[in-house]
Amino acid sequence: MGALPFVANLAVVTSVAESSNSSRTAQPALEARGVTKRFPGVVANDAVDFDLARGEVHTLLGENGAGKSTLASVLCGLYRPEVGQVLRNGAEIRLNSPRDGLAHGIAMVHQHFRLVDRFTVAENVVLGHKSLSFVLATNDIEDRVAAITQEFGLPLDPRAVVGDLSAGERQRVEIVKALYQGAEVLLLDEPTALLAPPEVENLFVTVRAMTHTGKSVVFVSHKLGEVVDISDRITVMRGGKVTGSVRRGEADVRKLAELMVGREINIVPRRAKSPVSDVLLSVSQVHLERDGAEILSDINLDVRAGEIVGVAGVAGNGQRDLAEVIAGLQTPQQGNVTVCGTPTARAGALGARRAGLAYVPEDRLGTGLAPSMSIVDNMVLTRERGFLVDRKSALTESEQFIRQLEIKTPGPLTPTRKLSGGNAQKVLLARELFAVSGARVLVVCSPTRGLDVGAVEAVHALLDEARDAGKAILMVSEDLDEVMTLADRVMVLYRGKITLEQPGTDADLERVGRAMAGIAS
Amino acid sequence: MIVLGYRVRMEQRLSVPRSLLVMVPVFSVFFALVVGGIFLAATGHPPIGTYLKLMDNGYTSFYGITDTLGLATPLVCTGLAAAFAFRMNLYSIGQEGQLYLGMIGGSWAGIALADSLPTLVAVPVVLLFGAFAGAMWVAVPALLRARLGTSEIVSTLLLNYVALNLLNYFIFGSTGFFRDPTTSFPQGRPVAESARLSPISFFTDKVTNTYPTFFIAVILAVVLFWLMRVSNYGYETAVYADSPNTARYAGMNSAWLQSSVLLISGALAGVGGAMYVVGPAGKVDPGLLQVGLGYAGIVVAALARYNFIAVIVAAVLFAGLRTGGNALQISSDPVPIAIAVVLQGAVLLFALGGELFRRNKVTITRLQAAT
Repeated sequence: MGALPFVANLAVVTSVAESSNSSRTAQPALEARGVTKRFPGVVANDAVDFDLARGEVHTLLGENGAGKSTLASVLCGLYRPEVGQVLRNGAEIRLNSPRDGLAHGIAMVHQHFRLVDRFTVAENVVLGHKSLSFVLATNDIEDRVAAITQEFGLPLDPRAVVGDLSAGERQRVEIVKALYQGAEVLLLDEPTALLAPPEVENLFVTVRAMTHTGKSVVFVSHKLGEVVDISDRITVMRGGKVTGSVRRGEADVRKLAELMVGREINIVPRRAKSPVSDVLLSVSQVHLERDGAEILSDINLDVRAGEIVGVAGVAGNGQRDLAEVIAGLQTPQQGNVTVCGTPTARAGALGARRAGLAYVPEDRLGTGLAPSMSIVDNMVLTRERGFLVDRKSALTESEQFIRQLEIKTPGPLTPTRKLSGGNAQKVLLARELFAVSGARVLVVCSPTRGLDVGAVEAVHALLDEARDAGKAILMVSEDLDEVMTLADRVMVLYRGKITLEQPGTDADLERVGRAMAGIAS
Repeated sequence: MIVLGYRVRMEQRLSVPRSLLVMVPVFSVFFALVVGGIFLAATGHPPIGTYLKLMDNGYTSFYGITDTLGLATPLVCTGLAAAFAFRMNLYSIGQEGQLYLGMIGGSWAGIALADSLPTLVAVPVVLLFGAFAGAMWVAVPALLRARLGTSEIVSTLLLNYVALNLLNYFIFGSTGFFRDPTTSFPQGRPVAESARLSPISFFTDKVTNTYPTFFIAVILAVVLFWLMRVSNYGYETAVYADSPNTARYAGMNSAWLQSSVLLISGALAGVGGAMYVVGPAGKVDPGLLQVGLGYAGIVVAALARYNFIAVIVAAVLFAGLRTGGNALQISSDPVPIAIAVVLQGAVLLFALGGELFRRNKVTITRLQAAT
């Protein structure tokens, strides 16, 4: 079979996959029975049963911390369970390392790629392979890699250097690597996290091609919407336990969401309730270069009081740099930034703050907060401080925020690194939204990245509240759903340029998705 | 890790039990004594008896403790200098050189300026000049670090050798300003009498080796401890040490923080050298070279886990090992000074090794038979 034409063949492949399901043997390709895995203070898997048929796509769905990645790690040999068994084709196997897993044809593709940037695709594929000859038979390897990419619809040049590849292509390298090593069962951990919508489609084609040849796939994800299309079966986990399992066709997004969260949830778009007024943040003709490479070019945007402007884009298209330019952390070669009437492009971080800017960076614990310092100490971070630090008022303030925002912490003197992601984000938002006096402009990057559904709701409510209070908010996010639910205007940043701008209420999701992937519409 | 059929596993502790904060240093010293005891026994000395003598000569006898406090005085300063820089993740190991420069700078002031000044002014002037000279000795590494990111470890270490040669040159290689002109014997020119302090007698009529500078060093440690807790400067350095990205995010000037911390560290070590001038030496004294108080400051800072108050305790403990060891060497049953050095090394090794147990929970389980 040659490279699969895009999407058109999907239905055919799907039906073939299903027919192979019907003729499946009695023994599952991979099975976990009563698996329990504990970490200090938490039971990550509590007597979990899971099985995967040959040729099946079985999705593990759950929020962060639900235990799905732990289960996948047990299945591939990375973790050893305290209790329970792992069975391959009906026979119990003991896996002491991922290498043992590989020997049984089980391979995991991690969310964060484990590739050597300076090596070629082929070199990365054979990396760690045991039976390599002393002198690499490069041509043979490249031919075999090419054959695999052909068979499974994974367009890749074996001679390309990995450092030059996009996230989607790197993921293909990881998958090819697993297949090259003879994997029959593939565990894909959050495989769509870094992909643009069209790349996700490509991945799904590959997954179908793999199951068609009798390989089985475990798809680990917390993204409800997309897993419904790809899965033959979906098993939902919450708090280390399996809360339910549905087959293809029975899947109902609302029901799955309830299984995930454990209660009914309502994702409603939030938009500005009152008319917008003055322009508080204005970026004009900003141009940024670094090491001779163009990072941002000709960026123009205005944010008015009482609105949220969402900037969507796949990671690495200049979003972070845009936020840092506005926050005064990078100085653009050309262009102006105006915060509440004060030009700040060359005023530095302190200048931007004094003009009325608050900034919530993407990296909460390593940038927005000092991880080993207490909530109180973090509250004073972006304040004007005299010769002595006034911790007394910061303590009162921290206690107040802990109550108001229901921040779960043993107390205000707890280091922020001991807080959960959602609670750390609440601390950061509280400081930037309320504690910094007079900040009327907020730049916020990926505010809910890595948070569970409950915390996402809370953070969105906070941002909505700040918008109603008349702040001008620029939200940069890789999560398109987030941009779509919150933003009054949507922009797409692609390779340092704003390539699309639409009103949030009736943004064309498909056009936005294509713009994120760089396809002009 | 698998050792002899047992699986040894380490897990990072999320919180450190308070008891461990005491247990780890106590056990480090205990195990160090055990290791030293093995060496003592191997060289034919009774370990317990030798330790009791060392205790007496280093800490409990009158002359023992006063000698120890005298030796601890510059050691507190170099310990503070090391702790101050290390807290900021700046691994300056230039305390040795800065100490020499502090002695040279202090002596210069003591010879050139102090003559007409009363002691109450002359001594602070000497100490300030020592601090200034120590800070200047680290100025170039500080600048290189802040502007170009050059490793301060290498640059400060290399400057130690330059300082050593400078000191040797002043006393042995030339007949210049610092050389005593009244004798052909190579020694430093004495500073003015007004720039010298007399030893403390502790309400006896005995002459000790402890000078009032010990209390200056203690006050320095306490003030530093307090200032770094409450001041904005202390706050900013703590943020920078914890996360440079966060400091940048908050608009802090990292070049200023890095260079100022290195300069203050150099000044602290320099004061230690100047204290040697107003105290026991009274001149540029190459005898300081053999003591290694600068490098010992790094050990003291590590033992104190960079806590300024704990530096005082660690410096006295460490100095006592040295004075006690010296006394053993000249006792009726001479124990080589090398044993004291072994003990010092062992204390450091176990203290740093103890960090492993403080930070991690170690569990040892019997390996299951493979099936």
